[in-house]
Amino acid sequence: MTLLLLLLIPVVVACGLPLLPAESPWVRRLALLAALAQMSVGLLAWRTPPADLSVSWLPKLGLRLDLGLDGLSLPLVLLAALITAMAVLATPVGQSRPRLFFALLLVTNVGLMGSFLARNALLFVLAYELIMIPTTLLVAIWGGERRAGAAIRFLIYGAVSGITLLAAVLAFGWLNPGGVDFSFTDLAHHNLTLQQQHWLLALVLVAFGLKLPIVPLHGWQPLTYSQAPTPVAMLLSGAVSKLGAYGLLRFGIQFLPDAWSDWSAWIAAVGAVSAIYGALNAIAQLDMRRLVAYSSLGHMGFLVLALAAATPLSLQGMMAQILAHGLIIALLFCLVGLIETKTGTAEIPALSGLLNAQRGLPFTMGLLLLALMAAAGVPGQAGFVAELLVFEGSWVAYPIPTLVCLVSSGFTAVYAVRLFNRVGFGRLDNAKADWASTSWGERVPALVLTALVLVGGIWPALLTGWSEDATAPLALRSSDAVTVIAAAPHTSISELSA
Amino acid sequence: MTTTTAPEPTKAPLIPPSTHRYADVIHRLEAGGSMLPDTPENLKQIIGIYKAYAVPMDFYWRDLLYIAEQVFLNPLPAFKYFISKEYLDRPNSYAGDQSQLRIWRGTEKAHPELLEFMDRGETRRMPKLLHHLWHDRVNMEFAEACMQAMLWHQGMGGRFNDYLESDAYKANADRAIKAYFKGNPLMLGLYKLFPEMVLEQVRQLSYYANLGLFWEVMAPVFFEMSDIYDEGGFKGVPDAMDFLVNGIFAVAGRPIYHHVFIDGECFEIIPKSEGFTWLYEAALPYVEAVFYRTSPFRGTKSYNAQAGQVPANQADFHYGILYADVYPVGSAGIPPTLLMQDVLHFLPPYLKEIYKQHRRGEEDELIQLGITFQRSMYNVTSAVIQALRCALLYPLDDTDPKHLQANRAFFEAQMDRFLRPEARLPDIQTQDYR
Amino acid sequence: MATILETAASVGVFNTLLAAVDAAGLREALESPGPFTVLAPVDDAFAALPPGTVQTLVDNPPQLARILKYHVIAGRHLRNELITQEAWDSLEGAPIAIRSTDPFEVKNATVVTADVECDNGVVHVINRVILPG
Repeated sequence: MTLLLLLLIPVVVACGLPLLPAESPWVRRLALLAALAQMSVGLLAWRTPPADLSVSWLPKLGLRLDLGLDGLSLPLVLLAALITAMAVLATPVGQSRPRLFFALLLVTNVGLMGSFLARNALLFVLAYELIMIPTTLLVAIWGGERRAGAAIRFLIYGAVSGITLLAAVLAFGWLNPGGVDFSFTDLAHHNLTLQQQHWLLALVLVAFGLKLPIVPLHGWQPLTYSQAPTPVAMLLSGAVSKLGAYGLLRFGIQFLPDAWSDWSAWIAAVGAVSAIYGALNAIAQLDMRRLVAYSSLGHMGFLVLALAAATPLSLQGMMAQILAHGLIIALLFCLVGLIETKTGTAEIPALSGLLNAQRGLPFTMGLLLLALMAAAGVPGQAGFVAELLVFEGSWVAYPIPTLVCLVSSGFTAVYAVRLFNRVGFGRLDNAKADWASTSWGERVPALVLTALVLVGGIWPALLTGWSEDATAPLALRSSDAVTVIAAAPHTSISELSA
Repeated sequence: MTTTTAPEPTKAPLIPPSTHRYADVIHRLEAGGSMLPDTPENLKQIIGIYKAYAVPMDFYWRDLLYIAEQVFLNPLPAFKYFISKEYLDRPNSYAGDQSQLRIWRGTEKAHPELLEFMDRGETRRMPKLLHHLWHDRVNMEFAEACMQAMLWHQGMGGRFNDYLESDAYKANADRAIKAYFKGNPLMLGLYKLFPEMVLEQVRQLSYYANLGLFWEVMAPVFFEMSDIYDEGGFKGVPDAMDFLVNGIFAVAGRPIYHHVFIDGECFEIIPKSEGFTWLYEAALPYVEAVFYRTSPFRGTKSYNAQAGQVPANQADFHYGILYADVYPVGSAGIPPTLLMQDVLHFLPPYLKEIYKQHRRGEEDELIQLGITFQRSMYNVTSAVIQALRCALLYPLDDTDPKHLQANRAFFEAQMDRFLRPEARLPDIQTQDYR
Repeated sequence: MATILETAASVGVFNTLLAAVDAAGLREALESPGPFTVLAPVDDAFAALPPGTVQTLVDNPPQLARILKYHVIAGRHLRNELITQEAWDSLEGAPIAIRSTDPFEVKNATVVTADVECDNGVVHVINRVILPG
């Protein structure tokens, strides 16, 4: 029941929003309440793990409403609910067509929840595809100047990703020697031959590689992240991209372990390239939002590296990085969006002196400093915990890519410092500085996310505690990476404790 | 009597209009106005800020004279800002009943608001030492920075600086130094080894006295302007400027001197008989050194000669209030921000009302009042320019075109100094500049 | 002929100037053989200064002396001689510019009556008080 609630709350609210008058403050409040209610249900679920839900839906297609919450999906469910709440809070009060906007946000949320809760591959694809339309509309209607191009590019890449995933999932089902069965429990038994696994893995890598994204499938990301409105950018980068990592973990490591082990060296290399590419491009950016977008791309490289290594520690790191990065990137987009709203521009050369205590944005810049430090992996914040686990876990398996990722992490500090130096310090231009100070309402999402990032840094269990037990059995290598463990084929999902 | 009234509007102008970039301002000056446009809000702003400036100035001049006359060459002047009661009560020569040329109707002693602030500060009543250590006091460092600007720029007009290099001065200073350090073989030995170093300290102290005597006049002038405005005596900015012009002339002949009191005996390092006047040896050098030039503020300009950020030519220095970018208010190393902090404590209520209604209201009062201060100093500079014109050139209602042309040339030369991009003259012409 | 000061006293329009000379203690100097060229401002010139200016100077003899010395050039120079140079050094030290020959203008003052000869010099009557600078 709890699981169904997680899905129903946003659906009901999204359907109910059009019934309210457009100017009513309750539109925003209900959307926020929906997200917060989801979070509460999620936390309840953590306390008392619910049983899996299994309802037959379209048996002829093999589509069952199989929902379940395990150690891998729980933190992601909570993250998605939190980021949705923060996205609602970060929406400017005068947002045009608020009912449609928040309804689309909530539908995206439904898609995310469905994907994370699904225990049936076809259901997973359904939910995965569901995200496509609302996010495209959100970018197309409320985005920046180049939103039309961005939305179309996003749609095309997303559609290709969806089709590829559908093909992979159908293949999964049909290649099953025991008859068409899309349930995860069955897929986890991976009765496929190595060659079949290779083909499927290629499809899976393309599909989720487009989502994360990773180089060279990232063409949509910088434009879309920079043109999307702030709440949408937060949701996309903070939650939707994590779907890619989750998908690689499930469909790649869990369902296709042999193929994954074969190719993991290449995957690690791709991760390293992605990390360096993202960091170097971020250094060159003159637009704050594109800088943050490339930063996100770089951090996704770490995720891929950790997945490639697939040691227990690296998988822990991967989950930690999912949570930490989700929080940090949402925070960065929130703050950058706030600066853009107040000053009217996101161009770095046009901004300076925002730290001025009387006429600048000192509070926002203070939080931005913390966010940038977190992104750079400064100890004391969540980013460090995640990166430490990822690098320690991956070093034993793939030292060279890990080193490359370490260097990329160093580059993060470069663009973080440059950004803050240019935008924060220096002279504030009196003629242009006529914005009002940020109100507490505008500061709340950034404050909450910063607090969580700080807590995550000093209490790492916040990042890893949810999923420790769930990730360990999935590892393909032992901690010293010497032996490749054939992942336990008969562990069923429901036996994995949350 | 300077009457800076406009010539009768029915007469055709005797000389063709100016073609200078600031022709509007020049024509306004020729009509008896100020560089600052004549609007009621401008008048309100500048009078308010004059009053708020005069209260800390009351402390500055007293402490400057205290340091110049009493603290003198104390090698460790840790308590130079702990002004004695004698100097707090020292009668201002231009206020109070005892004054021979009374400018201000009020008291000759320290202003009551100043005394209250010295007592309480921004925090609460504490022993003076705690106020000092907490830096909850009047920022005397600003006054010292102005003094240093005058000292460093040296020959800004008048005979003062040349006198400081003369033998008579050295002889006077020598006597005072020896008397001050009587019985102190260490300091006397230092004086024997490095006489120029100690002499330079005395020259600096002479500038302390110079600035102190200058501001002793300005404080009652500003207080009286505030009182006149409160009773509605000023009809516009030109009226306020005229008051300043008359004040400048009235006090122009005031002697500038440096007397030191060592063990009750008075040593005249710069005697009054040298004939130094307030106008030529104090006011004009002050305006040049502090309003126009000053020095580049640490942290805002690189002092690296190769960076080329500081002009090689002293005359090109443009760091005074007339060119200031008021934004870095509160940054370390920028003395005018100390003054802004001081002025903040004494704002009259009508000025606070204006600030509450614009920009960020009470949050950025410091910047708003800094810009108001800039406007007010443009008005003071206008008064100085008009006074110079009155002293050295022709009346504004002169009928001889040659004379009017000479006036015009003078005004244009003054406006040429504001042609550089940092000048705020164009900004103050609109009310939006806040 | 009379001395400069006697001539001035006899005319009757130099009361302020004479009082100032006394206050500054320059009487003896101006009674000396000299010779001096004196640019003498009339009473109206002093009255035209803003209120308090003269009072402050009179209260401070050294400063007053300085201003008065600015109105004196060493030597006996008649108008025709004065207009040959652009500027003349005053006794005070600062130069006095000759701005115009016809009408004869010295700094920003017009000479209303030139070449009033005296025993110890010559007086030119000017309509404004001139100031250094």
